[in-house]
Amino acid sequence: MTRLIRRLLIANRGEIAVRIARTCREMGIDSVAVYSDADADSLHVAFADRAERIGRPPAAESYLDIGAVLAAAARSGADAIHPGYGFLSENAEFAAAVEAAGLTFVGPPPATIAALGDKLAARRAARAAGVPIVPGLTVPLDGPQGDLDGIGFPLMLKAAAGGGGRGMRRVNTAGELAGALAAARREAVAAFGVSAVYAERLIAPARHVEVQLLGDRRGSLACLGERDCSVQRRNQKLVEETPSPAVTPDIRAALFESARRVAGAVAFWSAATVEFLLDADGRHHFLEMNTRLQVEHGVTELVTGLDLVAWQLRVAMGERLPRGVVDAEPNGHAIEVRLYAEDPWNDFAPVAGRVKAWRMAGGPGVRVDAGVSADTDVRPDYDPLLAKLMVHAGDRAGAIARLRRVLDETVVGGVQTDAGFFRWLVDEPGFAAGDYDTNLIAERWSAPPPSTQEMALAARAASYLRDVGPAASARRPPGGASGQSAWGIAARRGALR
Amino acid sequence: MSGRYRARIDGRDIEPADGWQVRILDLPHGLISLGGDAGSILAAVEGSGEEWWVTLRGRRLRVELRTWRERVLAEANVAAQGAAGPLEVRATLPGLIVAVQAEPGSDVVEGAPLVTIEAMKMQNEVRAPRAGRVLEVMVAAGATVAAGAILLRLE
Repeated sequence: MTRLIRRLLIANRGEIAVRIARTCREMGIDSVAVYSDADADSLHVAFADRAERIGRPPAAESYLDIGAVLAAAARSGADAIHPGYGFLSENAEFAAAVEAAGLTFVGPPPATIAALGDKLAARRAARAAGVPIVPGLTVPLDGPQGDLDGIGFPLMLKAAAGGGGRGMRRVNTAGELAGALAAARREAVAAFGVSAVYAERLIAPARHVEVQLLGDRRGSLACLGERDCSVQRRNQKLVEETPSPAVTPDIRAALFESARRVAGAVAFWSAATVEFLLDADGRHHFLEMNTRLQVEHGVTELVTGLDLVAWQLRVAMGERLPRGVVDAEPNGHAIEVRLYAEDPWNDFAPVAGRVKAWRMAGGPGVRVDAGVSADTDVRPDYDPLLAKLMVHAGDRAGAIARLRRVLDETVVGGVQTDAGFFRWLVDEPGFAAGDYDTNLIAERWSAPPPSTQEMALAARAASYLRDVGPAASARRPPGGASGQSAWGIAARRGALR
Repeated sequence: MSGRYRARIDGRDIEPADGWQVRILDLPHGLISLGGDAGSILAAVEGSGEEWWVTLRGRRLRVELRTWRERVLAEANVAAQGAAGPLEVRATLPGLIVAVQAEPGSDVVEGAPLVTIEAMKMQNEVRAPRAGRVLEVMVAAGATVAAGAILLRLE
């Protein structure tokens, strides 16, 4: 079956919409961006070949509005839709509606999305396929007095429709269960519209390790290595690397075997990720399978040299995966850090505001996927991911050294980001040794105060700009920068002082 | 001379690193480089008057710069305002109020949940920074608040 894609609507925003549009351009496919009123001037709109407005700023009235997205596809003449991650990417109803409208959905079949989107059904399917699952319930928890099947405390509550750390609560004692259950249900309803919550044993210490899968419509399946995503806050990932420092060849073989079995239990093609917890003894436990491109797919692209979005599109058009993809051998080590507008010194709380200075790193082995630029507003309506900073080097030590250099070259003004946390992390001895788990932030990040030198430099910078900054821009000669660079101005002001 | 200003960060007087040379890379956005014996470092600077923000090594620091005259005025202001009044509890992040646990007139212990704010689809509980009586609650469930908005007052 050949279904040519000539024009692709990207049902997303931010860095992932930009990233998908880039591949479209390379493949000669027209890209169509969609945007809410909040995003009319966004980078992803500027990057695409054309753009369609889909509604008001709240996601429910734009990026989550199936009717609005389909109407935009019809208006623009798109023949396929890529959902990116988040929003409608794991919404089986959406995938089915796209196909019913005669368009190609770039992702696995709708029935597979539905089967794996129900996390309890996915647990049952994995167990039936002989894959070890995290011990716990395979049906929703009735209430605080419900049957916990002897899981014991501490345990984790998770939303049955869940993902992304939402509707998730750690419960340390039986006394905390009622309150945590109510909170988890509230959050689950808000995020997914479904209140069902189940309980799993808390595995700690644990590492979060996932396997990247890529499949075609004829049953070929590639396991493109694992990613270690153990550096997390609020059960959400901040750093991802491949290969995992904790995964030996034996563990890798076992992870790949389990990932293949889970995928084999459903009709699967396109890209997906099977997530596991790896316990201190190196045993893995199935968490869930995400039937979409992951945020962190870029590190896999760096070590394999493959463009996963391009392969998603080719598979959607009916192409088979060639040998070179199925047997792709990863090369070197890649690390990604997620640059969020959030404050590591205030519990990583999200912040809104306007990005002012925006300087991203470059040079050898560096990839930056950004969704914003200077003078962009970060709004509370959406996920505050600004950019993904990725590095690739021959080995892990080289990748860490490169990441340190990248962080030193990266400057974001106007809003606090988590870059300061990453700058601390690259010098953290445990991280450097590859010795860390999902509790790294809770156990080792102490939100240290600024050093005396940092404060002295900040005072120097502010004093200097108060003297020359506004004056220099106000007194810039007519005609702007012609004949006089900012460096020249700075030097002259310095001489005057 | 930067010596014209007294610089304060986190309430502490800071001696500016005057030996470091400042180079402006992008003036409208406040992007600069600081160069000294120990090497160079990029920074972003925003602000005006007494209030400045400097981002260094990924961290945004609030820098208060005051001339002698501004200092005298500020001190006179503080003296005029007198002793500390009730404590205002503010939203630390923008979002939607999903629950208000605090009741006006009730006594709360330190750490008691007061208000639940949903931001970026995560629910966050705002807790009492200290024990006290709830004097007034300014928000109700369903309201949207900006970061820094006053949620309630504690006696």
